[in-house]
Amino acid sequence: MDCYTANWNPLGDSAFYRKYELYSMDWDLKEELRDCLVAAAPYGGPIALLRNPWRKEKAASVRPVLEIYSASGLPLASLLWKSGPVVSLGWSAEEELLCVQEDGVVLVYGLHGDFRRHFSMGNEVLQNRVLDARIFHTEFGSGVAILTGAHRFTLSANVGDLKLRRMPEVPGLQSAPSCWTALCQDRVAHILLAVGPDLYLLDHAACSAVTPPGLAPGVSSFLQMAVSFTYRHLALFTDTGYIWMGTASLKEKLCEFNCNIRAPPKQMVWCSRPRSKERAVVVAWERRLMVVGDAPESIQFVLDEDSYLVPELDGVRIFSRSTHEFLHEVPVASEEIFKIASMAPGALLLEAQKEYEKESQKADEYLREIQELGQLTQAVQQCIEAAGHEHRPDMQKSLLRAASFGKCFLDRFPPDSFVRMCQDLRVLNAIRDYHIGIPLTYSQYKQLTIQVLLDRLVLRRLYPLAIQICEYLRLPEVQGVSRILAHWACYKVQQKDVSDEDVARAINQKLGDTPGVSYSDIAARAYGCGRTELAIKLLEYEPRSGEQVPLLLKMKRSKLALSKAIESGDTDLVFTVLLHLKNELNRGDFFMTLRNQPMALSLYRQFCKHQELETLKDLYNQDDNHQELGSFHVRASYAAEERIEGRVAALQTAADAFYKAKNEFAAKATEDQMRLLRLQRRLEDELGGRFVDLSLHDTVTTLVLGGHSKRAEQLARDFRIPDKRLWWLKLTALADLEDWEELEKFSKSKKSPIGYLPFVEICMKQHNKYEAKKYASRVGPEQKVKALLLVGCVS
Amino acid sequence: MAFPHRPDAPELPDFSMLKRLARDQLIYLLEQQHEVDKLYKVENKPALSSNEQLCFLVRPRIKNMRYVASLVNADKLAGRTRKYKVIFSPQKFHACEMVLEEEGVFGDVSCDEWAFSLLPLDVDLLSMELPEFFRDYFLEGDQRWINTVAQALHLLSTLYGPFPNCYGIGRCSKMSYELWRKLEEEEDGETKGRRPEIGHIFLLDRDVDFVTALCSQVVYEGLVDDTFRIKCGSVDFGPEVTSSDRSLKVLLNAEDKVFSEIRNEHFSNVFGFLSQKARNLQAQYDRRRGMDIKQMKNFVSQELKGLKQEHRLLSVHIGACESIMKKKTKQDFQELIKTEHALLEGFNIRESTSYIEEHIDRQVSPIESLRLMCLLSITENGLIPKDYRSLKTQYLQSYGPEHLLTFSNLRRAGLLTEQAPGDTLTAVESKVSKLVTDKAAGKITDAFSSLAKKSNFRALSKKLNLIPRVDGEYDLKVPRDMAYVFSGAYVPLSCRLIEQVLERRSWQGLDEVVRLLNCGELAFTDMTKEDKASSESLRLILVVFLGGCTFSEISALRFLGREKGYRFIFLTTAVTNSARLMEAMSEVKA
Repeated sequence: MDCYTANWNPLGDSAFYRKYELYSMDWDLKEELRDCLVAAAPYGGPIALLRNPWRKEKAASVRPVLEIYSASGLPLASLLWKSGPVVSLGWSAEEELLCVQEDGVVLVYGLHGDFRRHFSMGNEVLQNRVLDARIFHTEFGSGVAILTGAHRFTLSANVGDLKLRRMPEVPGLQSAPSCWTALCQDRVAHILLAVGPDLYLLDHAACSAVTPPGLAPGVSSFLQMAVSFTYRHLALFTDTGYIWMGTASLKEKLCEFNCNIRAPPKQMVWCSRPRSKERAVVVAWERRLMVVGDAPESIQFVLDEDSYLVPELDGVRIFSRSTHEFLHEVPVASEEIFKIASMAPGALLLEAQKEYEKESQKADEYLREIQELGQLTQAVQQCIEAAGHEHRPDMQKSLLRAASFGKCFLDRFPPDSFVRMCQDLRVLNAIRDYHIGIPLTYSQYKQLTIQVLLDRLVLRRLYPLAIQICEYLRLPEVQGVSRILAHWACYKVQQKDVSDEDVARAINQKLGDTPGVSYSDIAARAYGCGRTELAIKLLEYEPRSGEQVPLLLKMKRSKLALSKAIESGDTDLVFTVLLHLKNELNRGDFFMTLRNQPMALSLYRQFCKHQELETLKDLYNQDDNHQELGSFHVRASYAAEERIEGRVAALQTAADAFYKAKNEFAAKATEDQMRLLRLQRRLEDELGGRFVDLSLHDTVTTLVLGGHSKRAEQLARDFRIPDKRLWWLKLTALADLEDWEELEKFSKSKKSPIGYLPFVEICMKQHNKYEAKKYASRVGPEQKVKALLLVGCVS
Repeated sequence: MAFPHRPDAPELPDFSMLKRLARDQLIYLLEQQHEVDKLYKVENKPALSSNEQLCFLVRPRIKNMRYVASLVNADKLAGRTRKYKVIFSPQKFHACEMVLEEEGVFGDVSCDEWAFSLLPLDVDLLSMELPEFFRDYFLEGDQRWINTVAQALHLLSTLYGPFPNCYGIGRCSKMSYELWRKLEEEEDGETKGRRPEIGHIFLLDRDVDFVTALCSQVVYEGLVDDTFRIKCGSVDFGPEVTSSDRSLKVLLNAEDKVFSEIRNEHFSNVFGFLSQKARNLQAQYDRRRGMDIKQMKNFVSQELKGLKQEHRLLSVHIGACESIMKKKTKQDFQELIKTEHALLEGFNIRESTSYIEEHIDRQVSPIESLRLMCLLSITENGLIPKDYRSLKTQYLQSYGPEHLLTFSNLRRAGLLTEQAPGDTLTAVESKVSKLVTDKAAGKITDAFSSLAKKSNFRALSKKLNLIPRVDGEYDLKVPRDMAYVFSGAYVPLSCRLIEQVLERRSWQGLDEVVRLLNCGELAFTDMTKEDKASSESLRLILVVFLGGCTFSEISALRFLGREKGYRFIFLTTAVTNSARLMEAMSEVKA
């Protein structure tokens, strides 16, 4: 352990920088890095290389190869570049590779070299060609900034939601700027560019000249500029060999450094971390790497081979043909513990634990020392934190062991931070593994969140690892395992060489009925890949039939959709399918389909009854449902038709339908009604008053009340009103008229078919006791008592 | 005289929670989202409000949508722009949105849902207030409300724990039950591990027992409903009851101390009880004579208010009784009841038929006539062809030809049918029965299926002993069985079924009955081996009536509960009675 700090390099008084190896790369590069367009995604992302044949003068006879590697150099994809010349490569926040072509078209590829989509940066760019391009990250996603041959800038702050912005012109700009960069401030993307000794800031509206405060004089041009990972800081490299460091707002200067090298650096990036003690800029030349900060001395490294810098949240990754290293400022906790002769509580605790393992009593002494200062809690926390920042598992372990040792002497130390750190480190070590190749630091991991990390694993098709992590971290199934399985299934359906049956079975075996997995989503993916049959098979596993319907409709399996909708018991869903079917099929087929689905039929019928009467009629016609057709026309005869002729015609149609339905009764009744209607009309013409729409009974009553007894009798005969009814009718009507004379005459016209008790009752209702008594005497013997009681002759 | 509950009767769950839930949601919808300050009733006339936004709280009916659309279009014509919001209760239907779309106002109107499906009308009565359920499902074969029912059951089980024992009969019951189960499965875990509060649930389709619903009601609450129509648990007593010139709206529930004692009583007992009560009240008032100041102070501050309240209630119910007596003790009513009993018992059919005929001839009441015809048809397995024709002819002559459609409806619903010559199936019926056995048809209720059914009432009546043998007078003061709700003449079929199934804890041994009810595949029992159910909860039974239940049935089951130490809770799509059923089936000119 004595040499543990051997690779620590002090920068100024307070900070140390260290560089350690992440991987030794055995990617068999055919080309030199310098001959390639290189893009490496932040957060330990993949590396894309495209040999750049367009830069050289010689004709591009051979097509270049686009290669994608993991951060550990494992090949992920390799494809022949068949499109136009590429100016720049870059990774989006979703780890999609954006390839900016000279003609302004941006091609988007997945991690595995699968072509996703393309978009154009606009006509202006197409005409003037792309001179240079940058891919940058914003809060909204990933942006593309383009410098055209006409020295104008065009940018889009989010390629997911493409809105092109043409930046204003820079006055007097004749040649390409010596260097430029895109930067984001206050959620707006700007362009900063250097032309000769001048700096300009471009936003949507204007171009303004800016001057960095405290810049040493004599600068005639800026050779390189770098914005920090968080867009907070800016570094400028001048032709005088000066490096100016300050805030990106150009309001404040942090420091400056003269490196005395006038050759333009190959790359310059910021190397800092959140709450950095000593921010630094890393400058790379062909064979030299310099870490520069607010200190008179810089740290220098020799580069053995062609290297490439990737700025990260908390450091810089440096990869070359043979190695992949990480350079960063030593985190506070590690520094406190490992600094030579450190007396920090964490350092003592680590020492104590080591002594304890050696079974030395010194352990006790150290421990006492910490405890006397009351710093044990702090010591444990320090060890835990430092463990997080260690790359090597043996160091992580020894720090955690120290923490665990210290914890024993604490009464109430909440265990979560320790447990969580152990878990996080396990996850981190797993993904840092050579085979996985995602060299995330602890801070990056926390910034990225476990969800995004899982997404990235899924993106790399590392489903088993992702699931293991979910299970290990006990993530809720819906966010964790289920989601990953669903992704796996979506990938699985794209394997065209496997038969539909096998894929469906494999998916079902793995997924079973895991909660939160939507088979319909997977089926939708299968359909998207053109595997309709597979999609249908997968839908069979979907337990909620409602979920199956939309996709089935999309796949034009409307009839299947209809039966699924019916199965779901959701009438709304059935209705949706019906409307779909109605538009899709011709009327005849539509009706036929309905005919086989009574539930859907009655639903549609209900709708038609209110909204589309004509369709309803057609439906009945189609079915030869004459009974309902008859009813339909009967209803129309009083609801839709105003004129008598129209009504009679409707009734006639109804009667015909009833005959066809072999419903003689209804047919006859309808014909009677036609007769009655005509007659009522005639009565209205001849006698005045209202007759139309009265029932037969009421018509006769009205006639009797109007004194048209003859007419009434005639009507009764014509319509064969039974005697009993007629007697009741006349009796009531005459009593209403209080025409007692006529009533008596009527009662004597022949023997009453309803007896004489009703006469008594009706008379009493009109409170005519005198008349009632007359009839009471004529009541038959069995009802006599009742009659007498009614009249009130109790005696 | 009103029977108290047995001391060991279980406590009812607190259903006011449902009210609170619904209220909070509505307040949220109205205030938080749309800042509503005034409510108007939706009627078919222009809205007078000058507000900048209109909010409609409606049932999802096409008619209502048309009204909203016409309002919006009228505003458009007048060049007014307002915001429109439609809140559907209990849920939104796609068809409604379709109408808005077809009328060209879909873009102007925004929609929301108020999932209020269970209104606690009383401590033991929950109503979905969906009277249209009956016609929609049993006549039109429209299953849209089944989902609503399933949602309501789901809500109950989330609030009051799972139901360990489930029984049901009827196609709609079965479908609702299955859909409900599906909902539970989808939201697995919510009810898991909860202690069941209600031990049993029994689902019953109205078409399993039409007879009971068609009978005249003679229990007080039922009679009040038949006479004055109870709406949403309250009734409007007109001037003839209040003996003043104003009408009075009275809430009828367990809160009303007088009413709660007489609601389940046979009407013949009610008057006597009320006068006794009046005398007691008078005696209590009289006590104040001879009180000293202190006692009087006590009396005024503590008892007087209660007495006054009781006094008021008493006078209302006495008024209602008088009014009912005036209407019902007349000879016609006696004869009507006599005929009904004859129909139920199945004797003197000829006489009953001619009674009905006279009823029609005299134009007594279209609804009543129809009801008697249906009762005759169901009890007799359909009318003999001659009567079928002649009664219908008479009816059309009396009440107008549009009732041709009413008859077509009744036939479809199986309420008024013609006896099939012999037992052979007609062509239509065999076609239908084929459909019914079809695989897909497991889920359908095509309205035609009812055609194939025979009511088999007579056989059922014998099998289930629905007509009690009476030795001497049936003492209505001390009822022996549930038949008391029909003057001792008939035990309601629906209630008897529930009694039998609860006794057996399944449909076992009732195969013949189930067959006679034409519910071969449609009677189900589902028991979960749940030993968490307390013995108390096992004596709580939720009875779900799909298509409505009557107050007589409620009274009968309350009686059964008292006898056996159960408590019944009723959930119905709406409280119904014979008139409501008939009106739902009737075609009237608009």
